[in-house]
Amino acid sequence: MTRPILLALLEVKRFIADRGALAFSIALPIILFALMVGVFGGETSFNATAHVTDLDRGQAASELIERIEQVEGIDVRLYTEERLDDALDRSAVLTGLVIPAGFTAALEDGRPASVQVRRRGSGGDAGQITVSIVRGVADSLASEYELRRALSHLVSEATTPERVEAQTGILLAEALREPPVRVVNRALVEQEEEEDILDRMLPGIIVMFLLFSVTLSAQTLIEERRNGTLERLLTTRLSADELFTGKFLAGVGRGMLQTVVLLVLAFVVLRIAGVSALAQSAVLALVVAAAASAIALVIAAVARTDDQATWAAVFITMFMTVFGGTFFPIASSGVLELLSRFTLNRYAIDAYEGILAETATLGDATFEIAILSGVALVCLIVARLLFRFSSEAK
Amino acid sequence: MSASPSANMGCMDEFLVATGLTKSFDGVQVVESVSFTVHAKEIFGLLGPNGAGKTTTIRMLSTVLGPDEGDVTVDGHSVGRESDAVRRLIGVCPQELALYPELSATDNLVFFGRMAGLSGKEAKERAADVLERVGLTERAKDAVRKYSGGMKRRVNIAIALMSRPRLLFLDEPTVGIDPQSRNHIFDTVLALRDEGMSVLYTTHYMEEADRLCDRIGVMDAGRIIALGTPTELKAQIGDPGATTLEEVFLSLTGRSLRD
Ligand SMILES: Nc1ncnc2c1ncn2[C@@H]1O[C@H](COP(=O)(O)OP(=O)(O)OP(=O)(O)O)[C@@H](O)[C@H]1O
Ligand SMILES: [Mg+2]
Repeated sequence: MTRPILLALLEVKRFIADRGALAFSIALPIILFALMVGVFGGETSFNATAHVTDLDRGQAASELIERIEQVEGIDVRLYTEERLDDALDRSAVLTGLVIPAGFTAALEDGRPASVQVRRRGSGGDAGQITVSIVRGVADSLASEYELRRALSHLVSEATTPERVEAQTGILLAEALREPPVRVVNRALVEQEEEEDILDRMLPGIIVMFLLFSVTLSAQTLIEERRNGTLERLLTTRLSADELFTGKFLAGVGRGMLQTVVLLVLAFVVLRIAGVSALAQSAVLALVVAAAASAIALVIAAVARTDDQATWAAVFITMFMTVFGGTFFPIASSGVLELLSRFTLNRYAIDAYEGILAETATLGDATFEIAILSGVALVCLIVARLLFRFSSEAK
Repeated sequence: MSASPSANMGCMDEFLVATGLTKSFDGVQVVESVSFTVHAKEIFGLLGPNGAGKTTTIRMLSTVLGPDEGDVTVDGHSVGRESDAVRRLIGVCPQELALYPELSATDNLVFFGRMAGLSGKEAKERAADVLERVGLTERAKDAVRKYSGGMKRRVNIAIALMSRPRLLFLDEPTVGIDPQSRNHIFDTVLALRDEGMSVLYTTHYMEEADRLCDRIGVMDAGRIIALGTPTELKAQIGDPGATTLEEVFLSLTGRSLRD
């Protein structure tokens, strides 16, 4: 078993010695991801519009709107309820805020008041941030009302300092028990399938480049068959099975190296999750790399020339990347959904997404891991049956 | 499997015995009933024009290509049935450069040494010795990609020496290199023979065969058409003192273009 491992290590060494390959598989994905973040999200300074309908028209409502407007980076646009709903329908607006009738009265009477959020899908990045800012503004407004009410109450009751103190204690306890203004979510469209594209973009790009660089290595295998290094290896004490195993492990090693570097970078730079998620992602990377490496061996077994191998690798990777949900979400039914099932990316991205978001563990990805391992196994068997070590004609 | 050298006490002198080797590709016979013997500690030359079947023969002798008919034994071990034992005895330097150009000469040698069964330490020591032998010590750490053609050829040979083979196959090791490098390779091969190695050397240069080989098999169109020492071959067509091997070769193989 040491010989296949030595062979795999040699391949990893060759990979590292090849500046071009390194740039392609590590620098390019970083650049692409940075571009994607620039295009799809992540403005550097936050700028958003709060789309607000004021059904209350009371003093507290206007005060709330005024204060939201004062927050840096947020503008307020006012709508009638119909126009807001219409804009939401057309997806012109993704998140709307409705201040219901009775908002001011509720605050003045010390009853719980609420602001309603109407969202399309996830509401968009900007919408989500706006909502949390509004929540803060509303809370402080409510606290002021509470305080004002309590003070006027105390003053009107010609009270003693002891009673003020006791009363303040009760008020504080109440305030801690429940936030004074609740922001109530009302999702307009089922949120489930339509997550932020960037959440899938990171694993999507990592998987895409893993597939690219590992399947393209089929071409070097064909080169080795042609120039005779494979055959030369068979005149040493390396058996054909050991050679095959070594080349498989080499693909796994390359894929792992590349993915782990990208993951660690993502963890350090984007701070997306903790060490446990990183470790689980690495295990997942192992399974994905195994599947990709086995596919590379099938390509190398079937292709006759370098060019054929290169085109096969590019076609397979592009097909899987496009239909596997890297750049647009997978449809919930139909032909596109069917096609996505024939991609490694779909399963890999699904599994990565949960792990990176720390909402799932490897255990939840058993199905995806089983599929990826199955692909690896089947491709390995097919490749071993078809693989030729020399350019000998049949 | 044991590789005991005493496996064929009776005919120690015959280190490699090829009998009736035949091979066709796509129905075309490229090697036809080739039989010859390489004695221990001799340089045996396989001399023939392009397409004669020299490389195909070497591939069959070195366990990577199964013959359609015939068999080969190396030190008494059958190449077909005991390929493992045979591989412990041979070193192969293919006609094409078969190495990893992006890695250094040392890395290439150590890797192939380990594949041949040396330990890490042995492989490193052996690599240093072999590099010294082929005169590449100074450039040992450079990527082979940066070497000249002659240096690459020498690395290609050095790899075959890593396993300390008893029988070395050299398939046209001097193609495309200058006289200095060529002389260096000749000296190396002669020294190896004197240290007890058997060598099977293919070439289409008569002058090389004349200078190096103890015995020569002339191959043409897949067959061995003449076999003997250089002197014997020259005597076949005239005065051995006056005839060149070139004349022997051309008179045996004809003057039309091959391949
Ligand atoms: N894998 C193969 N498939 C089909 N034909 C082959 C194959 N290998 C060799 N041949 C054919 O067999 C014949 C002998 O080839 P071989 O390489 O053994 O000749 P050679 O004597 O080594 O020639 P050269 O001096 O040019 O190296 C040639 O006609 C060649 O085209
Ligand atoms: Mg040849």
